Amino acid sequence: MQRVNVSMKQLIACVLIVALALVLGIVGVYGLSCRGADSGVKLLQDMRLQAVLNTAGTGAVDAYVAAEKQAATKAAREAGGGMKEVREATAKAETEARARAEELGIGEVDLSEVDTTALGTALSVMVAAQEAYYAEEARAQEAYIAQNKDAITVTDESEAAEDAEGDAAMEETIDLSGFVATEEMNRLSAEVDEAYLALCEEIKVIFPALTDDILASLKSTITGVMAASGDTFESCYDRAVASSGMNPGAFGVILRQARTFALTAVGLIVLALVVFFYAPLVKKMGVPRLIIGMFFLLLCLLALILNLSLTSQLGNTLVRLGMNGVLVLSMLPGIQCGISLNLGMPIGIIGGLIGGLLCIELGMSGIVGFLFACMVGLMISAVTGYFYGQLLNRLKGDEMSVTTYVGFSIVSLMCIGWLVLPFKSPIMKWPLGNGLRTTIGLQSTYKHVLNNFLSFEVFGVTIPTGLLLFFALCCFLVWLFMRSKTGIAMSAAGANPRFAAATGIDVDRMRIIGTMLSTMLAAVGIIVYGQSYGFMQLYQAPRQMGFLAASAILLGGASTSRAKISNVIIGTFLFQGVLTLGMPVANALIPGSTISETLRILISNGIILYALTKSGGDTRG
Amino acid sequence: MVKKNWREFARNNVVTIMFIVVCAVCMMFSGYTPSYVMYELFGRLSRNAFIVLALIIPIVAGMGINFAITIGAMAAQIACILVLEWGLQGFGSFLAAAALTVPMAAIFGFGIGKILNKMKGQEMIGGMILGYFANGLYQLLCLFIFDNIIPINNPDLTIKGSSGIANTIDLSKAGGMGGRLEKLWQLPVSQAVLVFALVIAAGLLIGFVRSHRKDGKKLGIQLGALAVVCVLMQLPVMKGLFSMVKVPMATFGIVALLCLFNVVLMRTRLGQQFRAVGQNRTVANAAGINVDKVRIIAITISTVLAGWGQLIFVQNLGAFQTYGAADQVGLYAGAAILVGGASVVRATNTQALLGTVLFHLMFILAPAAGKNLFGDAAIGEYFRVFMCYGVIALALVMHAWSSIAPKKKRVKAGDKA
Repeated sequence: MQRVNVSMKQLIACVLIVALALVLGIVGVYGLSCRGADSGVKLLQDMRLQAVLNTAGTGAVDAYVAAEKQAATKAAREAGGGMKEVREATAKAETEARARAEELGIGEVDLSEVDTTALGTALSVMVAAQEAYYAEEARAQEAYIAQNKDAITVTDESEAAEDAEGDAAMEETIDLSGFVATEEMNRLSAEVDEAYLALCEEIKVIFPALTDDILASLKSTITGVMAASGDTFESCYDRAVASSGMNPGAFGVILRQARTFALTAVGLIVLALVVFFYAPLVKKMGVPRLIIGMFFLLLCLLALILNLSLTSQLGNTLVRLGMNGVLVLSMLPGIQCGISLNLGMPIGIIGGLIGGLLCIELGMSGIVGFLFACMVGLMISAVTGYFYGQLLNRLKGDEMSVTTYVGFSIVSLMCIGWLVLPFKSPIMKWPLGNGLRTTIGLQSTYKHVLNNFLSFEVFGVTIPTGLLLFFALCCFLVWLFMRSKTGIAMSAAGANPRFAAATGIDVDRMRIIGTMLSTMLAAVGIIVYGQSYGFMQLYQAPRQMGFLAASAILLGGASTSRAKISNVIIGTFLFQGVLTLGMPVANALIPGSTISETLRILISNGIILYALTKSGGDTRG
Repeated sequence: MVKKNWREFARNNVVTIMFIVVCAVCMMFSGYTPSYVMYELFGRLSRNAFIVLALIIPIVAGMGINFAITIGAMAAQIACILVLEWGLQGFGSFLAAAALTVPMAAIFGFGIGKILNKMKGQEMIGGMILGYFANGLYQLLCLFIFDNIIPINNPDLTIKGSSGIANTIDLSKAGGMGGRLEKLWQLPVSQAVLVFALVIAAGLLIGFVRSHRKDGKKLGIQLGALAVVCVLMQLPVMKGLFSMVKVPMATFGIVALLCLFNVVLMRTRLGQQFRAVGQNRTVANAAGINVDKVRIIAITISTVLAGWGQLIFVQNLGAFQTYGAADQVGLYAGAAILVGGASVVRATNTQALLGTVLFHLMFILAPAAGKNLFGDAAIGEYFRVFMCYGVIALALVMHAWSSIAPKKKRVKAGDKA
């Protein structure tokens, strides 16, 4: 058992944070428990009642004013006035009536003034009916979506094209125009109407001036305040406060923010633990992984606080893990064989893209098309990888900057290539002009062949079994290779070339094998990425992918000279998790901002910078 | 022996020679008239020469091409935004922006130097990633800090209907700084050459009088060459060639001053230290030079100069893209200086200027040539992007090769012995 050394400052900070967490946690739990208890229910009920009274009161005033106006108009007509006189008389009557209504207090009925037991019962019945209706609606819509999944999912292609640089968001909108209310929904809806009528009777007791017409016109306002689709306690509470105009005081705030308090307390306890175990954690994980890990947890808590669906976001993260995993995995052989981060990865990506294009051109589809694309990609990238490895063998020690620019120049050379290559398929050519499109849809070929293979649902999250299995298979193969004789020799050549050469290992050959493997994995990686994303991106898109993959594996704990499979998996999950969660959270906090994109730039480049500063540089020249 | 020298020369300058050939081919197929090309070229030279010259010092100090000059460019853009926000006008606003750039770029440069000192031998890739990272910070500043935390009151600067700095910053409104430097003093080429020749001749004479070794022959040749150039420029053919060009004297004067600064600096103690550190850090350290400090100074100077370069660039254009203008600065400047025959360890003023001329000549000609050759302007566009990256990649490969080759030879000689 290793003793943890904790400094005084750390200890004090820990105690303070834990104390704060406890206070918040107790308040939060108290608030949460009150929500279901009598006091909480009563507060909400009171506010709702006041809201109903307010709305009805406004209606009553309007009714009173309208009656007065009518009388005034009639009187003016009878007096034989022209249009102008009538209008003036009406306007005068209106202002007078409003003033009188205020004086008499027609619209202002306070909760304490009237007996609300009957009204309250009617209201509770209606709210219960509404809640039942919305629950049924949500269930029916979900069933509808599940039934007609492919027909109504519309992926916006133009948006995807705009996002071509870097990691794109999957924008899928669901078209619900074909949805028809079920019988159950109609029945519940009728129940709501009935409950509303009962409520109206009670309201009339308090405001005798109200007619049925006015009450009917107030229906949408009143029901809207009481419940809405996808409601939570927080949103109910906010609406009730807004329309009742009541100030619920500190108890109300505790009720409203109970979840936030409780979740913040959880976050603070995690923070306290990190502060307490700071030294061993940093030693084990390194500063950036710790920061990003904490950031990931923070995003999860924020998502919960903001009532975003955390499970579906984590599901998206899983999809993205499989989608980017193979690309990140391709960094591993490069690092192990001693060429450091293979930022020339776009060379392999281009091989994969050509494979995909050939697959479309030959009209293949489904799993056969996918495998064909992989085979072609592997063959092309094996050849390019060999020459690329030869080049790298001649510039040992200087690989990173050279590979980056070699990769960049190949990508821009291929931009000309995409323009002039003699592909014929109309799916990928611009309808007008020369060359291939910037984004090519894969619906007709191998979109989601892996994602949909054996996929199933847990907690409303679709698990892309095939995708994850494929990623696991790739990881397993690389793991197996790394344990083979060649793999061990390759790692040795990367770790210490001189020692390896002395033991009879052909270092140059090992480096070529590593580079080829890295390039080939990149080719497969882009095809997996494409099948999950649904599009192939040509032209400038592959340029930044090397950086993204490099930052992911570094985030997983690899260095520029050593990497493990676990680094790949952890790194990809963390990196993609932060990206997937970051976007909705940022949009909920600052609507319509691009801060998540800025975040991506900062995280991915910050990680690479950190790894570079660790890689070299002693002060003595 | 002569033959061998030729081969050596060709090998050392393969990038330049290749570029001259590419430019010549493009010129043949572009269909532009020479006078139009000259007009475009002079415009681009006055915009870009300064920032390319800012790369020399870090190269001499052994840090390779400073791709982090994008950060200096960002400092200049922030200065522009602030100057516009404060409502400064006219030429004074340009000077204010230039003054404001200095402290910002110096602080950034110091930080870059600190970070690059932690990754010796990886400065180029490090500088590039640093540039990307700084771009993220710059976006954070312009989109979320300006106009949200720091209020911006000038409505022209912000995005309409949202918050943050607008996509394009217009400098050429009435009273703006756009084009002010150029409009100070413009002359046709024939006269501009005379002015510059007079200044150079005066400089040479002063140098002659003050030097201890009175080399009259050298002075005579130099003065003669100047006179010949002046006379040539007065010929009708030359006047026709440069008929559309108006030389912005102030801009070129500043570029000339920077060249002079580079030359003079290299003769000072600091310049010697740059060179010593660039040649061998271990030896320099043994000789008592604080290597880290010298490298930080080199990067700081380069960053400040890059800031000024970007300022000249944006005021010449009269507008800039807030979020895109700085991105490619490092790439274009780096490619330009390499085209001129510089390598990642050796660079001079002449190489920088020659490189700027050739590189931008290609930039002007490639789209038109691509259109005429292949019927698609996009091919020319992609071709010039490819040339940018390709030139840098080639130069890096050549450098890596040439620095490894002698070692191998030594190893082989050792085997034989």
